[in-house]
Amino acid sequence: MDKVAFHKLLKERILILDGATGTQLQKKGMPKGACPEQWILENPNAILEIQKDYKEAGSDIVYAPTFGANRWKLKSFGLEDQVKEINIKLVQLSREAVGEDTLVAGNLSPTGEFIKPFGEKAFEEAVNIYKEQVQALLDGGVDLFVIETMIDIQEARAALLAVKESTDLPVMVSMTFGEDEKTLTGTDPITAAITLEALGADAIGCNCSTGPEDMLPILKKMKSVLTVPIFAKPNAGLPVMKDGEIFYDLGPIEFSNFIDEFIEAGINLIGGCCGTTPEYIRLLKEKTKTTPPKMWLKNKKSALTSVRRTVFMGENIPLVVVGERINPTGKKKLQQELLEGKLSEVRRFALEQQQKGANILDVNVGMPGIDEKKVMVNVVENLSTLSELPLCIDSSSPEVIEAALRIYPGRALLNSISGEEKKLEKLLPIAAKYGAMFIALPLDDKEVPSTAEGRIKIIDKILEEARKVGYGAQDMVVDGLVMTVSSDQKASIETLKVIEYAAKHLKTSSILGLSNISFGLPERKWLNSAFLMMAMAKGLNMAIANPSSENLMELKMAGDVLIGRDENCKNYIDYFGQSKATPQSSNDKPKEENTSTKIYNAVLKGEKEDIEGYIKQALDEGMKPFKIVDELLIPAINKVGELYDQKEYFLPQLILSAEAMKTGFNYLEPHLLKEDSNRKKTKVIIATVKGDIHDIGKNIVGLMLKNYGFEVIDLGKDVPKEEILKQIKEQDVPIVGLSALMTTTMGEMGVVIDAAKKEGLQTKFMVGGAVVTKEFADEIGANGYAEDAIAAVRLAQLLEQ
Amino acid sequence: MMDSTVRYFENIWIEPPMGRILYRLGYKKTKTKLDDNQRERIEELIWQGVSHCHPRGAFLILPITKRTEDSITIGRHLVESKSLTELLKNSEEVALMASTIGDEIIHAIEQEIKQENSVKAVIYDSTASQIADKTVAWVMDFINKSLQKEAKELTSMRFSPGYGDLDLKYQKIFFEELKLEKLGIRLTETYMMTPEKSVTAICGVENRVRREDQ
Repeated sequence: MDKVAFHKLLKERILILDGATGTQLQKKGMPKGACPEQWILENPNAILEIQKDYKEAGSDIVYAPTFGANRWKLKSFGLEDQVKEINIKLVQLSREAVGEDTLVAGNLSPTGEFIKPFGEKAFEEAVNIYKEQVQALLDGGVDLFVIETMIDIQEARAALLAVKESTDLPVMVSMTFGEDEKTLTGTDPITAAITLEALGADAIGCNCSTGPEDMLPILKKMKSVLTVPIFAKPNAGLPVMKDGEIFYDLGPIEFSNFIDEFIEAGINLIGGCCGTTPEYIRLLKEKTKTTPPKMWLKNKKSALTSVRRTVFMGENIPLVVVGERINPTGKKKLQQELLEGKLSEVRRFALEQQQKGANILDVNVGMPGIDEKKVMVNVVENLSTLSELPLCIDSSSPEVIEAALRIYPGRALLNSISGEEKKLEKLLPIAAKYGAMFIALPLDDKEVPSTAEGRIKIIDKILEEARKVGYGAQDMVVDGLVMTVSSDQKASIETLKVIEYAAKHLKTSSILGLSNISFGLPERKWLNSAFLMMAMAKGLNMAIANPSSENLMELKMAGDVLIGRDENCKNYIDYFGQSKATPQSSNDKPKEENTSTKIYNAVLKGEKEDIEGYIKQALDEGMKPFKIVDELLIPAINKVGELYDQKEYFLPQLILSAEAMKTGFNYLEPHLLKEDSNRKKTKVIIATVKGDIHDIGKNIVGLMLKNYGFEVIDLGKDVPKEEILKQIKEQDVPIVGLSALMTTTMGEMGVVIDAAKKEGLQTKFMVGGAVVTKEFADEIGANGYAEDAIAAVRLAQLLEQ
Repeated sequence: MMDSTVRYFENIWIEPPMGRILYRLGYKKTKTKLDDNQRERIEELIWQGVSHCHPRGAFLILPITKRTEDSITIGRHLVESKSLTELLKNSEEVALMASTIGDEIIHAIEQEIKQENSVKAVIYDSTASQIADKTVAWVMDFINKSLQKEAKELTSMRFSPGYGDLDLKYQKIFFEELKLEKLGIRLTETYMMTPEKSVTAICGVENRVRREDQ
């Protein structure tokens, strides 16, 4: 059956799939833990009977029992060398059972391994595993393919590509969603539907995991975006265990009672998964035989996906911001990291842009001296799981683009395809194969047209060529091509005309790299802002920009409201609503903003950058160093302590204040020593005890103690008691802080304290750590217990008195 | 029945639990006053922390081969622990799990401590701890969803070596069975795991029964 015939059939009626195979085989005696494929071949009558029954019940399509007949799955039964024979024989059995007038679908299912970026197996390995099975299924004579029970969108992509690269037969793909309406790796129904449709699935749906009731909302969501038929195979409710057997809680009548809702939701093929039997299928057939099917959408949505998110683009949708930061041009640190194969900067830019409101991340790693393909693949794999935002693959190399699109577990945007003959010839088929949207760049082999007319001609040509490989206007994003206004004052007008043409005539999305417009001119933000607003008014719906630019993001928010793209001004209110936060209470501030007030407030607000200047000013004005400490710094930090106790301040604010105070103290220290040469900081030893190697908590305590004016001697981790005692004696230390993370090592703290006492040392011990309690501290004879860094500071202050 | 091969998750996406990260830092929704700039700066640091975390995980289902009143044998490993034996009283199989958020965040925290950037250090630390918690919870959730089809589920409680009467020495079982070096987790002679904030845990696999059948 070819794809045209498949879709023609689905326009005529709702097709009936089969019901469960696995649970039916168990009823026929297949033991737990057996390899189903092998057991079927040894007991062929079982599958012959099951599938004959399904045919008689009304199934138009039965799935060949090849669910686990891929090399990786068969390996666990030592059958990996029999992939071909097993698949061929199983398809032949299905054919024998149902004859030629019922379709037999080759069934591809999860390999049992996890694929990159989520798992450890290479994507290409998975494609090849499936290709091997696909070829065997073709040899067996299947009519079409079904990829089912997929829990990971990337594995579904691997299977789908394997089919598409092997045959033109129709292929249906169904994912398994949990009660949270997500696959196990976090993909929602709309995102799965758009990703699989873009990659060329001929029908999309879901099966298993849930019963019909929970599956309905998932199908409705899929139907709302799909231009291909949808299908479903729900379980007979939820499985529960009773007397060692699995039962499903919906009988055939209760199950089939949901059919009207499935029809209403627009179902095109329906069957059953675990727990269903021929009786369930017979009722489905009966209830659907006179019902005409609902059609699917005519036009694809303009949408991009990541593993976990879909971003739509369109007339009434807010301006989509494509974050431009992941690009090594002019970024030395990023360049260096990419050369060294490191990705910290890339990851930081990705999350920073996501946080600042970008909707898509542009990824460009082109620079001299690197293997662009390797780096691009690495970055794409990394960002696919790190960030929720869909990616825009930005490269001029067809090889790099293909490598990135192949492994990207979503629907990407390709930046870009120009009107140059070679680009069109090479890049359009690659983009189309992977279903990416693309940016059309209006320049060709002859010129970069300065007029809108010239650019429009090229855009029309690109779209014409794109249609030949199956694209529509909704898959294209027109780049208005921004030229700098300082060298040609008409440049902006020409770009705006292109944007208007894209929006009004082609009904495509459009995009601009805004900042070029102002190149070479002062105060560029005004030009960029004005240009953005003008372009939005002409229909611009995407912009490549730096989302950290507050000016731009604020204008975008306002622009979306004014041209009706922000329903009920919701985004605007969400964005600016935060600014209405109550300012800090001013009751406690000294009233006059003199130098003293400034010093006090600098500590209160944690302004460590400013405090030195204020203290210098106070000293110049003749204020005594001790007075600054006693009347400003200490009262201010005490006030901070009060606010912390009242929970008005939390830890970061407290630390900022402590850091400001420390900066102030350090600046004052030489002056204080001049006034009182005996003034010294209290020494505190901190150490993680022997046997324990975890010391982040202890190090944070050390930092806090320093902030509060203690001299900290950090002995590190896994420190033997002898070393601790030696340092106490040598450095004459009055306070020791001991830390241990585990129950197995906390006892060592008591050993240290005992040893110190035996030697007659007067040092006071404070203890802490994840499993340490006050009771334990008392038990081992410590002078105090601190549950966190702040408590440690307070305890040290108490112990020093 | 889930097969008994180790499954590795190379990249787990964990949505940073902002509320819990802030709460860990002492933030109280109704009391703590933060102005816009402070909030933005703190959230920026949290996201920076997230960018240094690389959540990964592994799990394996093993059969319980023998049990006494105060010991249980998992596969070929005898474990003497009354509390674990009690936890696994309705199980025939167990799930051994491990998760880590990698070295990079630990180095980043150490670096910030060294440079005395206290705010960054504590925010990174809080972020790392919460992401680590969510990573092991994610692995549990994954196993639970996978078990649903077989009408099974994990015990809601999990145990880790070093807690209660489950001796730390049993970390060895996790390293032997899950080959945790593959996730970059190492074990010291005193059975401590590095990088810090790596977690091992064990849960029982129980039959899911109807509430009225319980």
